Amino acid sequence: MNTNSNTYTIIYTTIIVTLVAAILAFVSQGLKAKQEANEKADTISQMMTAARFATKAELQKMGNTAVLAKYAEEIENAFTVNMDGKKVADLELDQVFSPKELKKQNYKIKDGSDAEIPVFIFKNGVTVVPVYGAGLWGPVWGYIAFEPNSNAIKGAYFDHESETAGLGAKIKDDPEFQAEFNGEKADFSNANVFDIVKGGAPKNADGTSIIDNKIDAITGATMTSNGLDAAIDTWLGAYAAYFGATTAKSEDCCREGDSCEEDMSCCEDKKTEEE
Amino acid sequence: MDAKLKETILNPIFKGNPITVLVLGICSSLAVTVTMKGALVMALSVIAVTGISSLILSLLRNTIPSRVRIIVQLVVVAMMVILVDQILKSFEATYAIDKQLSVYIGLIITNCIVMGRIEAFALGNKPWPSFLDGVANGAGYGMILIIVAFFRELLGSGTLFGVDILNWLGYVPNNLVILPPFALILLGCIVWVQRSIQKDLQEK
Amino acid sequence: MEYISLFVKSIFVDNMIFAYFLGMCSYLAVSKNVKTAAGLGVAVIFVLFVTLPINYLLNKYVLAPDALIKGVDLSFLSFIIFIAVIAAIVQIVEMVVEKFSPSLYSALGIFLPLIAVNCAILGGSLFMQQKDFANVGESAVYALGSGIGWFLAIVSLAAIREKMAYSKVPAPLKGLGITFITVGLMAIAMMTFMGISL
Repeated sequence: MNTNSNTYTIIYTTIIVTLVAAILAFVSQGLKAKQEANEKADTISQMMTAARFATKAELQKMGNTAVLAKYAEEIENAFTVNMDGKKVADLELDQVFSPKELKKQNYKIKDGSDAEIPVFIFKNGVTVVPVYGAGLWGPVWGYIAFEPNSNAIKGAYFDHESETAGLGAKIKDDPEFQAEFNGEKADFSNANVFDIVKGGAPKNADGTSIIDNKIDAITGATMTSNGLDAAIDTWLGAYAAYFGATTAKSEDCCREGDSCEEDMSCCEDKKTEEE
Repeated sequence: MDAKLKETILNPIFKGNPITVLVLGICSSLAVTVTMKGALVMALSVIAVTGISSLILSLLRNTIPSRVRIIVQLVVVAMMVILVDQILKSFEATYAIDKQLSVYIGLIITNCIVMGRIEAFALGNKPWPSFLDGVANGAGYGMILIIVAFFRELLGSGTLFGVDILNWLGYVPNNLVILPPFALILLGCIVWVQRSIQKDLQEK
Repeated sequence: MEYISLFVKSIFVDNMIFAYFLGMCSYLAVSKNVKTAAGLGVAVIFVLFVTLPINYLLNKYVLAPDALIKGVDLSFLSFIIFIAVIAAIVQIVEMVVEKFSPSLYSALGIFLPLIAVNCAILGGSLFMQQKDFANVGESAVYALGSGIGWFLAIVSLAAIREKMAYSKVPAPLKGLGITFITVGLMAIAMMTFMGISL
């Protein structure tokens, strides 16, 4: 047969291309459910790591089904809010915000249009919100968990697409970096809601971290740290109205002294005195 | 096994190593050698792609119209790469690694080893030797990846496969080793060692 | 201003060669003298600049989820579409150049087929998809910047290798070995740009 004739070439290429497209479409459809389940379980385990139910490694070991079951057991309420802090819609149990959806909302927050950003409240009162932004090489995102009705951070977990392994990638891989967030307080009244400080945040005399909105940046990963800092400021800024309603009062006085109580009584007292 | 087949398998791993001798396929790979896990998955993916696409194209070799040869090769290779990517994404165990390797899996398509072996070997040989040739070249490539990753993870993070090896001794991880340039310097050293042993490879 | 920042960043910080090792095969093979290196460099700039905006539009209006038909996600086809576009463009460019400018063809022509399998081109498209540019202008600026970065990298390596021919390099290190190490050192030098803020 003449394999060089035009007809043969055209028919041959058509058949090959159709065949390949069919195989790929078939495989992609077949595996789609599994891939989505993986992505969802990954997102949920990131939120649960931030809320400190377990470490990421422990959750990963549990497997997808167990992670979903634990999430269903622990979650109290999930809904979206707009940038005025008003609730927009409830989220179903299986609706979590994957990085792809966070990216869409990130655009909306930036151009000031009506973003609908998610809030996840667990049964123990811990509130988890996502953050999303650009690192050095690609997107960085994560979840920050707040104590019940407070601006005090319970925990945080971050992930990234392609930061330098061993440097920028520490936002994900270094539990010590994430632990720095624990106990710090976000300052929702400030445009600079939270600060990741290059060269080290101010410390108490004994070297422990002052409870404020500042933590240390990662050495050698300035660009990633800056990117994460901007992501946190943008997103927590968007949540400011939502959190503002419950936490703004505690803000002013708590920053003045180190002896701030866990509850907000001191702040309440001070407010009354001032008035 | 006859001598020729044995030669097909062993040659790409040492004497005709695709990276250090033929200088093929460096592009898509060095960035994944920061950890052993990434290197291992990348190596296995490349072996799968080179092996199976060599096999398929060798089966088709007498039917491919010569004018669209390159396109047909690209389509088959791209299909294999997409399949590997989709499969990695689907398993719980490999999902995290696929996320880490991100675009580099896609770049296997333009990995010169794949196309190079198809052009040079698979289109002129029977399916079985072609398959072995593809696998062996993938393995030769993977071997270099793993050697580079071994040093980079050990010196750069003090761990191997994420298990602490040096850190508990008080080793301070060297950040330079983790940065991309060091992979090239390490590769230069591997070439140095190899050419000191195999003198016939030295350039004039 | 954003365009300038993206442009400078894609040349120096996100350099295809020094930060991602993309297009390494032809980079090492064709960097023995400055003239051919420059030829290949120009061809890479050109092809990147043409293919990247096309792939951007395809990605945005055909491949992205819900782009073509609601509920259909074709993103699994992106590798194959991108590489097909690149191969086709290279072929078309080759034919057009041959027909209208034989002198340019003789200077550029031999490099064009090499480019279809140059990882830098496909890499550019894949990074474009990952970086998620806002509009086609940004993708074109990124393409131009990446291409120029690649051009600078290959021309400077070729210049170094021309000089190195006169140096006393240990025999086993000669050629490939010392080239790897040189590229590594160049990449370290390029990393000083990483901290720039624009």
